[in-house]
Amino acid sequence: MSMRITQGMLYSRALADVQRGLFRYAQLQQEVATGRRVNRPSDDPAAALRILPLRNDLRNLDQLGSNVALARETLNTSASSLEDASTLMQRVRELTTQAANGTMSSEDRRNIGAEIDQLLQQIVSIGNSRRSDRYLFGGTQSGSAPFDIIEDGGGTRVVYRGNHETLDIEVAPGVNTALNLAGDAIFQQRNRGATLFSVPAGVTPTGATPAGGGDTGIGFGELDVTFAGLHTDAPPTVSAGNGTTNAVGPLSFTFTSGPDTLSVGGGPALNLPITDGAFMTADGRTISLTVTGVPPTTSGTFTSKAGLSIDGGESVMEISDFSSNSLMLRDSYDGTVLNVNVQNLIRTGSEDVEYSGTFDAFTTLISLRDLMNNDDELSDESVRERVAQMLTAVDGAHDAVLDGLRELGFRSSSMDMLNNRVEGLRISRQESLSMVQDTDMAEAILELQRQDLSYQTALQVTSRVIQTSLTGILR
Amino acid sequence: MSLGFGFTSGLRALAAARLGMQTAGNNIANVNTLGYSRQRMELSAALPYSTGSGFQIGSGVEIGGVFGIVDQGLQRRIQLQQGLVGAAEVDQLRFNEIEGILSEPNGGLSESLQGLFGSISQLQTDPADRALRGGVVQAGSVLSQGFRMIASRMGDLAGSTFDEVRGLVRQVNDRANAIAELNRQIVAIEANGAVANDLRDTRAQHIHDISKLLDTRAIERDTGSVDLLVGGHLIVASDQASELSVGKTAEGLTKITAGQTATATTIREGRIAALLRQEITGVPEIMQRIDQLARNTILEFNRLHTTGMPASGPFSSLTSAYGPIDGNNTGIFGDELLSQAGFDFDVQSGSLYIAVTNESSGAMERTRIDIDPGTATLANVASAISGIDHLTASVDASGKLRINADAGYGFDFSARLDPNPDEPGTFGGTRPSIGSQSAGPFDISGQTFPVTFDVLTGTPSLPNTEQVTLQASDFANTSAATVDELVAAINDDLGTEATAHNIGGRLVIQSSQGGSTSQLGLANGSGSVLGDLQLSTTTTSGRDIALDVAVEGNYTGDNNDEYVFVPTGDGQIGRTAGLQIEVYNKAGTLVTRLDVGDQYEPDDPIDIGDGISVSFGPGSVSATDGQTFAMDVLADSDTSDLLVALGMNAFFLGSSASDIEVDPRLLSNPDGLSAGMTLADGDANNLERMLGLREQNIDDLSANSIEDFYADIVGEIGFDTAAATDTLQAQSQLLEHLEAERQSISGVNIDEEMVSMMQYQQSYEAAARFITIAQQMTDTLINLGR
Repeated sequence: MSMRITQGMLYSRALADVQRGLFRYAQLQQEVATGRRVNRPSDDPAAALRILPLRNDLRNLDQLGSNVALARETLNTSASSLEDASTLMQRVRELTTQAANGTMSSEDRRNIGAEIDQLLQQIVSIGNSRRSDRYLFGGTQSGSAPFDIIEDGGGTRVVYRGNHETLDIEVAPGVNTALNLAGDAIFQQRNRGATLFSVPAGVTPTGATPAGGGDTGIGFGELDVTFAGLHTDAPPTVSAGNGTTNAVGPLSFTFTSGPDTLSVGGGPALNLPITDGAFMTADGRTISLTVTGVPPTTSGTFTSKAGLSIDGGESVMEISDFSSNSLMLRDSYDGTVLNVNVQNLIRTGSEDVEYSGTFDAFTTLISLRDLMNNDDELSDESVRERVAQMLTAVDGAHDAVLDGLRELGFRSSSMDMLNNRVEGLRISRQESLSMVQDTDMAEAILELQRQDLSYQTALQVTSRVIQTSLTGILR
Repeated sequence: MSLGFGFTSGLRALAAARLGMQTAGNNIANVNTLGYSRQRMELSAALPYSTGSGFQIGSGVEIGGVFGIVDQGLQRRIQLQQGLVGAAEVDQLRFNEIEGILSEPNGGLSESLQGLFGSISQLQTDPADRALRGGVVQAGSVLSQGFRMIASRMGDLAGSTFDEVRGLVRQVNDRANAIAELNRQIVAIEANGAVANDLRDTRAQHIHDISKLLDTRAIERDTGSVDLLVGGHLIVASDQASELSVGKTAEGLTKITAGQTATATTIREGRIAALLRQEITGVPEIMQRIDQLARNTILEFNRLHTTGMPASGPFSSLTSAYGPIDGNNTGIFGDELLSQAGFDFDVQSGSLYIAVTNESSGAMERTRIDIDPGTATLANVASAISGIDHLTASVDASGKLRINADAGYGFDFSARLDPNPDEPGTFGGTRPSIGSQSAGPFDISGQTFPVTFDVLTGTPSLPNTEQVTLQASDFANTSAATVDELVAAINDDLGTEATAHNIGGRLVIQSSQGGSTSQLGLANGSGSVLGDLQLSTTTTSGRDIALDVAVEGNYTGDNNDEYVFVPTGDGQIGRTAGLQIEVYNKAGTLVTRLDVGDQYEPDDPIDIGDGISVSFGPGSVSATDGQTFAMDVLADSDTSDLLVALGMNAFFLGSSASDIEVDPRLLSNPDGLSAGMTLADGDANNLERMLGLREQNIDDLSANSIEDFYADIVGEIGFDTAAATDTLQAQSQLLEHLEAERQSISGVNIDEEMVSMMQYQQSYEAAARFITIAQQMTDTLINLGR
């Protein structure tokens, strides 16, 4: 016999069926309304496990996208600053060429000097460029101006107060890019070559030579050698006179008595006693001596001390020992160092020092300006000569700026590439996420219609079945 | 034929038809009554009687009674299934609620975690921006709030168990009382031989209801009463009910006791059982993992934040957020061992590095404080900090550690590199120094103690002589005299003319006078200890101008170390061909050799690896004089986690999901955020370390990253909820099926009843007809006699 069916069964089964249909209907309705298949983890736990990391990835990629945008903006700001600097350097080159070729009055030169000074100020302020209050070229020291112009007894110089750290930000998964270029790499040069000493035409060199290495000065400098008195090895009857002395270093001497005479450095003998006697050496140097008489030792060597200075006499190093091939002199203003070989130093005077390869934008401009102003009162000829020499330095400084521009351009273009990659990743992640979490609308709506239909049918059939009973038929 | 013929059987037939009609009527009336079992009248043929002619003639119909149609076995199975469905309902509801609390994947903790990392990544693009810094602090707050909201709502959920169970137990008790009363009535009625069908149905329904809530066993007695057993306790015994009561165990868990017994009644099925189970496994297990997540998030972020550099620079004063508990009951905070101080985060055996910076010169001096939580107290740490120049530290009355710097000085705990590591000048300073050729300890056991040597100083020549006497008692072991012991013993004897230092494990004696005319010489007195100590006896001179050593970068190595720099020969930086500087680590292994000879341009940074670059200014260095300097390279400047335990310069305070918050110090001033490691305001190195946390697998999170661990929790809850829903569906369907079966047997079918009614109507009509005919026949008979 088949199962006995009762009205209660019909009711509760109908109710359960209608309930189930309604539940699925509501579920589909939510899926369609939110557009998401997974609205809570239990809708599809396996999908939920994929959704969380995908969403994290996606948000992260969004962040990277905005990082890239910001990085590009910062790099572009830096680049446009450097473009300005490049334009200024071009103007500097024009002015330099003009000054090197044409004959011009000191008035004209001073005007050019004033313009170069303007350009210097402008390039320094480019070095101190900011983007939203942050200095671009100071490394991670972004809160204070990286370049500072100092004018003191040591002349004009620009010092770098930033650091060499880079501010790295993530622009693509696992790829970091530096947002900044340290300013001293752009505006300051470290292509140091050999240090050179020179004297103007017609001037006798001092005999001091560069020690060859270990120097830290930049641009042009000057080595001053002065007479610093007699060393204690001088005979007791001999002391320095008040006349001119240009001989430094060890000097041989010979006394003869009756008549008492003294000859220094193989030069002519002078009669003694003598006050402020101008003794000549065989090689044409002079030394002023006061000699009271013939000492017990009648021949030998005494030392004329030299005072060496590279900061215009602000700090002087006195030497009596001329054996060093590497005497370290320091500029008391900027702390730079020049190593000098004094083994052949015999004469006082000045050596023009050129720290070759170290001309950066600032030193070049400062040197040019000073040349134009010609405070040292050089001849027109030598000013033109020096200005012509500076052309290489101008080009070098310009190249450094262009190198910086190239570097920024390279970063900027690699940023575009990265941006494309990030965008590509973002799209693929978005697709994966959509695949996992989003409702297939066409399918869902079809399903919704199907559910709707079957729900309606269930209701109709149920109402029919429930109505049907013998009661309605039997009268 | 008698006159009474037919009437008896006719009447019986009428009565039976009427009763049948009533039964059908009652069935129809109860078609919707829950638990009602259809009733059937039972009929049998009445006893026949014999006629004179020897026939047996039936005397009509006899009513056997009205019985409910019930399958007892099925009933029992339904009860059991009810319990399972009840439990599944609770589980499903709970997991649903938990799922709702986490509100993933839209807008839960995963979004706040990502928000925090995102804000850090954004700040990285402009570390000096105050608004972006505020954004990080804000994102931290949002994450904290997310954690706290989960904790509080989960707490509510767990707390609601007790009330919910109490409500359900009240229902059980009401039902039990009702059953006891029904027992009384049924016994009374059935004592007369009747069957109390309807009362029995009602009672069965009550038992049904109870089975939904807990597992119960019903035992029917011969009298018709039913006893109910719950976990071995009779809650209904004939007409007596003994109530269940709800209380809490010592652990705060809900427990159910029966009658006077104090021990908890074991309940295995039903809603109540599910609730009790959830109280132990469901919510607390998830909460425990959320707490674990919060705890590790706090720990790891704070480890980095406490050792970073705030945007506002080094601290002038700082007070810890937490202090020790009075672990040894002395009434004083800070005198208990750190291991017993009750910190939320354990203090490890390790080192804390504190740097003191001179605000005007930027010079920094770093001190290492070794901390063993098994032997040190917070007061010990405070006095060690007070021992550092320009710092004072104290433990206040509530146990908090407070550190103050002298005016013009600041302190920090950053792992940054010392930009000028040659602070004492034993490498490039102007004061002459003589150092040992290698690192200690030294074997001086060959000497006859006391042993002496002279330290000669002066400007010029060596007019000052100070004699140093070393006693065997100065050393724990003369065959391994440590540099610290030597420094202490030598400085005891030296006046103001010279000082002994421990530089990276080497003994260095340095004159107090600077300049090229200042000289220093060492000479053996009694004994020859200078040889043992590898100290040169050649007189040396100072420098007029210091040789600059500058360091830049951020150490990227994994372990804390100390780099010691020593020249390979005597010569001039940037001048002497082949001159090198060797870098050794703490273990004495050569890390690298730096070329500083004629190919080197002074002041140029040299990359020495692990993110560090060093530059040397122009000047002379001497290997003979043992010139050297040392530099800490720190991966972690607080391996003791003391700062984390104390909440000093913390990002998060608290230790669990329920109390996590961003340090209010940062909320009021985001400049306290430690984005960098150095003084540079554009330094984002600490942010980079924090971003690294994202990928870092944390041991305590089962070697998962923070976000992965959380995703696992969410996934698991998803699986659990889905499983609970499936279980509920399956169990409900089974119950439906059983109910259908019951309905099939005990349910009322209206058609059937209609048919019965027609049957009874017809049989009633027939019986009445029969009586009429019988009467007519009797009339005929009587008229026959007229």
